[in-house]
Amino acid sequence: MKILKKDQIEEALNRMADQAEVYVPLQKGTQTGFYTWQSYDNTTDTLVLDELNVSLPPKQVVFPPTDKMYSFKQNGVEIDIDKIYEAIEPQVVFGIRACDLQGIACLDLVFLTKGYEDNFYKARRENLTTVAQACYQPGQACFCSSMGVDPVHPEADVIISDLGEEGYAWEAQTEKGQALTEKIAELLEEKEVKLPELQEFTLKVEYDGVAEKLKEMFEHPIWEQLSEPCQTCGICTYLCPTCHCFDIQVKTWGDEGYRFRCYDSCMYEEYTREAGGGNPRGKVSERFRNRFLHKLEFFQERYGTPLCTGCGRCIIACPTGISIIKLIEKVKEADTGA
Amino acid sequence: MKAIENQIKEIAARLLQSGEVNIFLAWEKGDYEYQSKPYFARSVDDVDKIVFDQYCIHNLSNSLLKFRDSSDKIGLVVKGCDSRGIVRLLQDNQIERSRLYIVGVACPGMKDPLLAMKNHSGLFKVETEPEVAAKCQTCRYPNPVIYDELLGDQQAPRPQEARYAQVDAIEQMTADERYKFFEDTLSKCIRCYACRQACVACNCRLCIFDEMRPQWVGRETSLSDNMMYHLVRASHMAGRCIECGECERVCPVNIPLMLINRKLIKDVDKFFGPYDAGIKYEEGVKPPLSLYQENDPDNFI
Repeated sequence: MKILKKDQIEEALNRMADQAEVYVPLQKGTQTGFYTWQSYDNTTDTLVLDELNVSLPPKQVVFPPTDKMYSFKQNGVEIDIDKIYEAIEPQVVFGIRACDLQGIACLDLVFLTKGYEDNFYKARRENLTTVAQACYQPGQACFCSSMGVDPVHPEADVIISDLGEEGYAWEAQTEKGQALTEKIAELLEEKEVKLPELQEFTLKVEYDGVAEKLKEMFEHPIWEQLSEPCQTCGICTYLCPTCHCFDIQVKTWGDEGYRFRCYDSCMYEEYTREAGGGNPRGKVSERFRNRFLHKLEFFQERYGTPLCTGCGRCIIACPTGISIIKLIEKVKEADTGA
Repeated sequence: MKAIENQIKEIAARLLQSGEVNIFLAWEKGDYEYQSKPYFARSVDDVDKIVFDQYCIHNLSNSLLKFRDSSDKIGLVVKGCDSRGIVRLLQDNQIERSRLYIVGVACPGMKDPLLAMKNHSGLFKVETEPEVAAKCQTCRYPNPVIYDELLGDQQAPRPQEARYAQVDAIEQMTADERYKFFEDTLSKCIRCYACRQACVACNCRLCIFDEMRPQWVGRETSLSDNMMYHLVRASHMAGRCIECGECERVCPVNIPLMLINRKLIKDVDKFFGPYDAGIKYEEGVKPPLSLYQENDPDNFI
């Protein structure tokens, strides 16, 4: 098996960054997330490949928080399109975990399937090489295995596994992975190694049957009850590796401007506000219900997989301790009168 | 704290039984021993789940906003800072005093369940958890300022030396250094609006950031829109922030929101003070910037 020594990581990233934007898990100040290796400053930042994961998900690599679409200029009574911003730079995401990679797989379903391809997404996605780090030691809020994710065999272009002092096992899985391997070939050694054993998950939930059960639960007291502490901030949606709602807005000055899309959140009251002033999801419980039905029922029905990958971020960061695990358990227990 | 918890349970049971209130806001235990979470008891049967421990850090006065249009009678537990939140709501005409039964608890300082969750998650490298949460470390009013019933032994305010330490440090910077500081700090913002949602003073029915016609503040996560968001939010807090520190505590990207709030607290205190927001409720009395007087000082303009 190919091995990348830990003291060669920086050199490997430098080489990858030669021809691509490389996203790596970094701690910057008090924040952890996927940032470009080009932005790495060794006096203030730390590469955190040895941490379980980072607090901000890597979805921005293919789906940026603010994404310029095109700029325009007024020309008499006409509008001229100046530029269309389709990203074609090669990108590498290095050290992504299986849950977050499954998050990107969910985004693929949304933006590339069912008869519609989103050009902006597609351009980024096709130019992306994924190097996933296998997870052998699930954290206390991790439940990816319950959501159908295999933490040690993510569907990445390359899988790396932390072998401790030996370095990282490096396994290319696809052509893209092979190409990346060639780029750092001289930093890799051949060695017989044994991969670690996957440790037991402490957090598990039975998701089977939840989507079907939820069909009967649109009107159920559970939504009022469980949403009571919810403050309807957007933390859960912004930290979620799969949440992908966006708005399209415009910025103008004088006779020019640009149109962009930006993250939006179904937890906001304004999200469903209609031009005439009505709002089909004006109540907290209605927005709360929609978020979980989308994750656990609608998405499952449309794409055959839940829109939750068990990364645990929403459980960790919810200011009022709302847990999707608890919710699934309550749904399982709920009396639907059937 | 166990004794206080038992007293809270007794009071809640009494109030719900007699119908004096139909909702009682307190806390219940989450999934971890270091996690307590807001809990809305609606019947005597619910009272058993109520807890009061060192992780009951949330400001429940904020939850009253969910009931501002109802006619519910609400009992709730407040610590010192939370009770100032109630004064905030009363001064802002958000809820009638007669609908509330306030159980005040003299607060020895709380621990932050969010920090504990993060610390145990493996997703964040957090420095060691402090004895009491950051937001409690310069607490001025540990004892409730408004209540119907008071529990616990009176607590002494925490030392105040460090209260403006960071504000002073920022004031000492050159304009360029200061700009750089805020550029670094605010460019992290992901615009999740958790600071606004956790804030009891953010009680506008239609928030300026949600207004679409006209859209006052853009929705890009760019430095200029982020700065606009934080500047507008902060200036709306002037004279109104009751220093519960919930905004900073809930921020998922660790923006030092209380630093910004404290600068305004310091200025309001200097220009209109001595003034501490929300420490006394008198009918008709408003915070300094919610009231215009001809002799207001304006030499800073």
